[in-house]
Amino acid sequence: MNMYEIIFYFFAFITVASASVVVFSRNIIYAAFSLLFTFFGVAGIYVLLNADFLAITQLLIYVGGILVLLLFGVMLTTNTVNIDIKSGSMNVLAAASVVAALAGLLGGVFWTSDWFVSKQMGELPAQTTSKEIGTALITTHVLPFEIASVILLVAIVGAAMMARREGIKSQIPSSK
Amino acid sequence: MEFFSPTDLLGSSPILALGLFSLIALLVNAFLKNSAGMVFYVSAVGIFVAIGCSIYTFPMNATAFSDMLLVGGYASFFSVLFLVIALFSMFIAKPYLEREQYHYGEYYVLILLATIGMVMLASSADLITAFLGIEMMSVSFYVLAGYFRGKLSSNESALKYFLLGAFATGFLLYGIALIYGTTGTTNLLRIVTMYPQPFNDPLHIIGWGLILIGFGFKVAAVPFHMWVPDVYEGAPTPVTAFMSTGGKAAAFSVFLMTFSVPMSMRDERLMTVLAVLAAASMLLGNWFGLSQTNLKRMLAYSSIAHAGYMIIGIASATPMGQQGIAFYLVSYALTNLGAFGIIAMMEKENGGNLNYEDYAGLGKRKPALAALLAMFMFSLTGIPPFAGFIGKYYLFASAVQSHMTWLAIFGVITSLFSTYYYLRIIVYMYFKEATNHEEIKLPGLTFATVILCGAGIVLFGIVPSLIFDLMKSIF
Repeated sequence: MNMYEIIFYFFAFITVASASVVVFSRNIIYAAFSLLFTFFGVAGIYVLLNADFLAITQLLIYVGGILVLLLFGVMLTTNTVNIDIKSGSMNVLAAASVVAALAGLLGGVFWTSDWFVSKQMGELPAQTTSKEIGTALITTHVLPFEIASVILLVAIVGAAMMARREGIKSQIPSSK
Repeated sequence: MEFFSPTDLLGSSPILALGLFSLIALLVNAFLKNSAGMVFYVSAVGIFVAIGCSIYTFPMNATAFSDMLLVGGYASFFSVLFLVIALFSMFIAKPYLEREQYHYGEYYVLILLATIGMVMLASSADLITAFLGIEMMSVSFYVLAGYFRGKLSSNESALKYFLLGAFATGFLLYGIALIYGTTGTTNLLRIVTMYPQPFNDPLHIIGWGLILIGFGFKVAAVPFHMWVPDVYEGAPTPVTAFMSTGGKAAAFSVFLMTFSVPMSMRDERLMTVLAVLAAASMLLGNWFGLSQTNLKRMLAYSSIAHAGYMIIGIASATPMGQQGIAFYLVSYALTNLGAFGIIAMMEKENGGNLNYEDYAGLGKRKPALAALLAMFMFSLTGIPPFAGFIGKYYLFASAVQSHMTWLAIFGVITSLFSTYYYLRIIVYMYFKEATNHEEIKLPGLTFATVILCGAGIVLFGIVPSLIFDLMKSIF
């Protein structure tokens, strides 16, 4: 086992362990904080894959932005801090068997197959990717790039419409 | 360095037009008071402009934006279909929303934005654009399903659709990642030139399997259909009309296009998987349809069954099957828009007047309305001379052509089940006495739309060559 693999397994362990805390924790604050380590572990794996731009973006957007927003959301919503938010589990047996089958299938295939990229791994010199990504975003991939911004517009319009105060004729009883 | 060629701009012109007009509509909505009516007209103009652009690009046969978009032919045909669906569903929505006092401009803006997603789907030659199109369409649908913010059923519908839809998107994305991992590209035109080499890789096949789950969810095929009845029932009726026609047509257009890549191998296993999916959808959709009392729910199960009929066309992997799907989508869209238009007119506040009993005696109270609804039900059953018959004929024939006769027989038998619940409404309308004598108001705009839909299914049922001639240049 070389150094590269040790570092990989270290980050992979952090990611998986903290992700399982996110799923299994009954306290929403614990869950939100362990998400921090999940994002961090994924960012580490991106660095190992020579994807420097992706790693930085992961840290900036997920850890810096989304997670902080999530924590603020949790803290500003009254009465959620100590509440047991998890509902009971249903159809455990059926779900477990489907998940096991899918995981077994994927794992088995991953184990046996030749990856397209793996042939070139190690030959590529370490270099920054941000320049290439930037060029691709305004040349070959300009359409997806622009459309992604329109999707954000849809999300904003939708959120604003859902959240506005006026004209609500509610049949939902208020929480008081 | 030149960034855009004229083909790029022309090819994306329907998307650009829709985007431009949705922004104008948004600004009008923001800066003018009580502007919902104005937004309606701006959106309608936008759709007409986009239809013009799509028709203009029809003879072209090219790709735009470095092979990201298909231009002309296939893309134009489906774009016009989605645009007409969007327009009709807006016509159904306006009187309905005014009556329910929920008439806001955002509704039309979201319809336009969802339509951009649909047009992207039909034009996508790359898995990235397909994914973005699906997301754009779905996010708009999540919001539209919850448009009646004060109604519990509408909230439930939006939340269920959102959670399950996000889950299905995960499968789609995972599949795309695996295909990229095995071929090094997401471009469909490039993947197909690499065949058959990647097809020997199990990872590649699993990638397509995961994409199949994602698309199966969007077209509402069994076993990914759980969301359909609740979402269709809870969403506002014009939204259901739009989702069940536009959403399904868009999902099928991209399903057909992307799966023409692995299906070009005519792999027995993949064909069998799709055939089983089709058979399960036809059986369960029609089976559960039998026991429904609510019309919106009944049409939801019927929509599952119709997804099954159309998957036959993909499973058979013949040009006849592909043309069959395209024709079926046109006829299904017109039929369902008409049926939901009638339901929207009949509906009373808080989801009243949606059951079979409420339609008792409609044949005497509103003869024209009853006759139109009867026509739509006949077309859904697949009785000539309506368009539904021709579509079903082509799909079943394509199954026989691909040596899957059992699938065609299965389709015919399950259609027989469906006869019961489609014709039941006709029995109620013509052979039962009316119990409810409240006056039914027929708003002109919706009624005219329903008549147009009815005329459409008769026209395409009698002269199907109008569409099939167009399709000879596409497939």
